[in-house]
Amino acid sequence: MSAALAGIELYRKLARDGLFADVYQTRSSFIVAASDAECALLETHATALTSVGVGIERLAGERLRQRYPVLSPNARLAIEVQDEGHAIGYKIVHRLLTAAGVIVERASTVDRLLVDHDGYVRGVATEKGVVLADAVIIAAGNGSARLLGLDGVLRPRKGQLLVTERAPALNAAMPGAIMSGRYLLSKGSQAGDLATRSRGFGLVIDPLGTGQFLIGGTREDSDAGQSNDLAAVSRILADAVSLVPGLAGVRLLRAFAGVRTAVADGLPLVGALPGLRNAYLATGFEGDGICLGPVAGRAIAQLACAKHPAFDITAFDPGRFAGIGVAA
Amino acid sequence: MFDRDVIVVGGGPAGIAAAIEAARAGLSVDILEQRPSLGGAIYRQPIEGVAPIRQSRAALNRYAELMSALTAFVVGLRHMSVFLGMDGDGLVLFEDRGAGTVKSLRARAVVIAVGAVETVHPRPGWQLPGVSTAGGLQVMMKETGRPPQRRVLLAGSGPLLVAVAAQMIRLGNPPVAIVEAGDPFGSIRDGLGLLRFPGLLADALSYLLTVVASRTPWQRGTTLMSIERTRSGLEATLKDRNGTMRTMTADRIGLHDGIRANDFGLHPAAIDMPCGPIVIHAGDCREALGAVAAAADGARAGRQVARLLTAASSSTDEIERQLVRERKAQALLAQLFSPVNPPAPLSSLPRDTILCRCEGRTAGDLHSLIGPSDVLSGREVKHNGRFAMGACQGRFCATHVAALMNELRPGHPPVHAKDLIGQRWPLRPTSIAGLTHVASDDIENDQFRKVDANL
Ligand SMILES: Cc1cc2nc3c(=O)[nH]c(=O)nc-3n(C[C@H](O)[C@H](O)[C@H](O)COP(=O)(O)OP(=O)(O)OC[C@H]3O[C@@H](n4cnc5c(N)ncnc54)[C@H](O)[C@@H]3O)c2cc1C
Ligand SMILES: Cc1cc2nc3c(=O)[nH]c(=O)nc-3n(C[C@H](O)[C@H](O)[C@H](O)COP(=O)(O)OP(=O)(O)OC[C@H]3O[C@@H](n4cnc5c(N)ncnc54)[C@H](O)[C@@H]3O)c2cc1C
Repeated sequence: MSAALAGIELYRKLARDGLFADVYQTRSSFIVAASDAECALLETHATALTSVGVGIERLAGERLRQRYPVLSPNARLAIEVQDEGHAIGYKIVHRLLTAAGVIVERASTVDRLLVDHDGYVRGVATEKGVVLADAVIIAAGNGSARLLGLDGVLRPRKGQLLVTERAPALNAAMPGAIMSGRYLLSKGSQAGDLATRSRGFGLVIDPLGTGQFLIGGTREDSDAGQSNDLAAVSRILADAVSLVPGLAGVRLLRAFAGVRTAVADGLPLVGALPGLRNAYLATGFEGDGICLGPVAGRAIAQLACAKHPAFDITAFDPGRFAGIGVAA
Repeated sequence: MFDRDVIVVGGGPAGIAAAIEAARAGLSVDILEQRPSLGGAIYRQPIEGVAPIRQSRAALNRYAELMSALTAFVVGLRHMSVFLGMDGDGLVLFEDRGAGTVKSLRARAVVIAVGAVETVHPRPGWQLPGVSTAGGLQVMMKETGRPPQRRVLLAGSGPLLVAVAAQMIRLGNPPVAIVEAGDPFGSIRDGLGLLRFPGLLADALSYLLTVVASRTPWQRGTTLMSIERTRSGLEATLKDRNGTMRTMTADRIGLHDGIRANDFGLHPAAIDMPCGPIVIHAGDCREALGAVAAAADGARAGRQVARLLTAASSSTDEIERQLVRERKAQALLAQLFSPVNPPAPLSSLPRDTILCRCEGRTAGDLHSLIGPSDVLSGREVKHNGRFAMGACQGRFCATHVAALMNELRPGHPPVHAKDLIGQRWPLRPTSIAGLTHVASDDIENDQFRKVDANL
């Protein structure tokens, strides 16, 4: 939670400074409960949020209808979480790359690190040739597993997402993203029990600035990042319509999937690689990498430049897993 | 386990021929067709209660032959069924527009025969209301039996412009002019080459004679550069072969710069899939070679499926020879209609020219994304420029966006339309209500029409 707050703090700063001015917005999100079990879970979650200083409002009955008029009558309780950050991942990536003036060698897969006997990393070998460097930062998502022999530690977690056509009136009637209380159940499962659940559903409906909706999603133990299946898409949309009935009259434009990088203990891997003098790892953000990516990236850059990271990454130390190393 | 042996997508000549050959081998076959009737782009049937517009006798005969062969077999016909693609589990998905639901079928093989689409080059003003494709005007005439009204200008390149003009003339509203970038009369030798393809020649001559007799101007070697809306209508700026510019005003403009395979977003052909069905492309969506070739290519695909799924051993050698011949005919046509002056590069378009009509994205938007140093991939340009992200899923813009990217970043590996579009379902925007009421695979109780002689 404190990492997430640091992540949001950096977004806010970059928005104030101008770099993210038009690509980061704050607005409320709404977590909605429709059953007794969900209501109970939501109350607990609300208490937890309040205790770390997040502004929330509890909405029910008439007040809920006023604040969120397009919500289904089945919704019984909602928690409005104020000042939540909102940003589109690919826009952030493009903005950061452009600002840094970095040139990306696209379509260049790194095959391995070039490690000397004393643990100094000279660079990397790619299919296109060797690239020498003073320091190497591995931020290769699921690709990090192969480079570092992290097979038992990293797990691909697929997510399916949907985008609708524009529906400006419905979009304007939604003051923020809503998620079903069931998402908490699904999200709570991320620590420890990777093997027990092969596919979870958690509903988020995000009204986009274009007037479209982004609707998600699944959490699946799979790396089939290219495919969407009818069963999942139909289930997600049925859940979405039961929360916001007006979506039934909108058309689905696109379905796509991505693969998150999950870590066995549910925490990211950010820090120096044990046994290596100048190599670092930043991955394992699972479903939070848009939020955490910039702040973790900045910390790892500081570390690589022998500065003190501005954000406490001790809990994310890759050294907590025995056997992390380089398949040299 | 399987609902059908073979699903054929598209009820044009290629799809019909494929269904015939697969059914002949004893396989169970369904055809999915998005429209209310079979026929495809060329044999498009009028909507109910409208008299069909005149077609050449040869074309009528070819269609009658296909249909009588089809009726000899039991083939399931699903009208108003829009193919959405194949999902990660290998299911064939379609939206049943009649029932308002999305349905899925499991098949051993899928023949995709969704035809061609028209190419239209971007030009300033091409997105204005009143500007459509020439083929769109033709479809309207075939369905309604009425010509587009008021002053119509046809422009671009290719034999279709003459065909559309002839059909308009026969229906009583000749176009104000046909503006043609090529000059098919320019080379006697190429023209004589047509003599080797009497079928093509007969069609072409009949259309040409109609155009000549009505004195419709056919302005060859001329390019439509831009369109502007003025108080008197749509003003087209034309540039002739000597570079002289002039304007012409119309109420509607039909553009057409050729046809190309409609392969956008389709699952690629695959004949040895570990899981999931065999996928074969047939007809104009594999290679745009015209109606005769489409039927032949469909038969080839149907026989290929039969060989892969049964002990059938029917040969396709004769068909391959026929395809070679049709390819030559199309190459000759392309040569006859090749532009007199090479087309201007896309990078010379004014920056405010629309590239993506769905999202209103311009050539300038693309220029500004292609920086001098870091070179974005097709996918990044798609996301950050919002190209190929609209309702048409990139059908209209992806080819041009890729071409302009390639002009702007020479020396880099070429970007293709499919890098922007990808391969995913749904291929078309699909009703969410329909997707939440996914029909069970209760095929036996499913209402669909078997092909019968009344179609
Ligand atoms: C469906 C879904 C929904 C999500 N929703 C949210 C959300 O709401 N909020 C949020 O904060 N996060 C969300 N995320 C998570 C977020 O997208 C990820 O955490 C984030 O993208 C991780 O960033 P990364 O840079 O660590 O890794 P990635 O984005 O995975 O990038 C790794 C890069 O490394 C490259 N690579 C891999 N191997 C090699 C190699 N050998 N050589 C060279 N390059 C290599 C890859 O091509 C890739 O470009 C979601 C993810 C998914 C899938
Ligand atoms: C606009 C246009 C005009 C043409 N005019 C002429 C002409 O005048 N003379 C001539 O000789 N040739 C013409 N052609 C070429 C000729 O139509 C083709 O060569 C021939 O029809 C190709 O046959 P096909 O079966 O491959 O495709 P088509 O005949 O195009 O049949 C494809 C079928 O697939 C259906 N379909 C497409 N997408 C889906 C989907 N997602 N789900 C379900 N069904 C779908 C379509 O409705 C159509 O019925 C024209 C082509 C076009 C595009």
